[in-house]
Amino acid sequence: MDEEVNNILLVATELKSPLATLRQMALSLGGLDVNNKIVRDDMVAVSDRAIRQVNDLMRIGKLGDRLFEMEPVAVRGVCDEVTRELQYLFHFNKRDLFIRYSNRARLVTANYELLKSIIYNYLLNAVYYTGDGVKSELVVKDIHDKVRVIVRDYGPSLPVDVWREMKRGFIEKPTSIAMRPGTGGLGLYIASRFSRYMGAGIGAVRHRDGTSFYVDLTVSKQARLF
Amino acid sequence: MVFVIDSNIEMANCVAKACGDCVVKIFHNAIEAMQALDNCLPSLIFMDIDLTGPNGFSFLNEVISYEDTSKVPAVIISDLDLSKFDLSMYGVVGFLNKDTMKPEDITEYVTKYTQ
Repeated sequence: MDEEVNNILLVATELKSPLATLRQMALSLGGLDVNNKIVRDDMVAVSDRAIRQVNDLMRIGKLGDRLFEMEPVAVRGVCDEVTRELQYLFHFNKRDLFIRYSNRARLVTANYELLKSIIYNYLLNAVYYTGDGVKSELVVKDIHDKVRVIVRDYGPSLPVDVWREMKRGFIEKPTSIAMRPGTGGLGLYIASRFSRYMGAGIGAVRHRDGTSFYVDLTVSKQARLF
Repeated sequence: MVFVIDSNIEMANCVAKACGDCVVKIFHNAIEAMQALDNCLPSLIFMDIDLTGPNGFSFLNEVISYEDTSKVPAVIISDLDLSKFDLSMYGVVGFLNKDTMKPEDITEYVTKYTQ
């Protein structure tokens, strides 16, 4: 891992404690009226998302230790959990999410937490880069002997250099994406590291009106009866 | 009485606040808390593991070595995931994750062990 990435991981470790403290301080606020309760809940939700990204970065530092077990994971269940967690954010930003599952293979070989993070980061990306009232899409389907999870957004198209990196299946380090302001490309970097660990493939499809990000997962044979 | 041991002052205050009407003593390191145990026995201890100076395990080792203090239940509040380890031999009765816990989680332990 290069020095720049190491420094990012170091900063993430330092940020974790203050974020958890801020979250706890927000939760400790008492005697609030309805409007201030909404502000408090927003503060907690923002802290939760920041803590999640910090935890993801810290996990990247631990990937080398092979601590994350690969196991059969119900991919639809992971998608359901992520969408439940992000429902609030979609609603808050006046975004819609269309969900379609058509995969026949229900179990994939993955690490639950790492897969959850990949889908979470893709969907978070979709929240930010889809316009008001426009639907993003979460699709799970079979592609040959793999299960593909796709998140389609209707925002600015992905720059071709980032697309090339994703096509290669590996993003070296977080870089800002010019056509997608306000992002350091952190979500895609996290997705690329986690997918490589799990032996899953990631990629992106550039559309004229947005981007589809996907992860291809190996079907688990463990629980197959036929 | 409840002891709260955390090197992070703000976090310790949040935990103390969640204890409600219960009398709470806050300590920012294990040595201060150990000295206080000589004078009074709390009904419950909330503590972090990463402490300035001796860490939480050193403190718990000390606590279980005395007949009177060994009966005091402790709840670990940490960002480390220790829930898969059985630490009951250290008098640990529960774990709370700093990233996800809510004030109600603390209140629940206070209600259970101080009333």
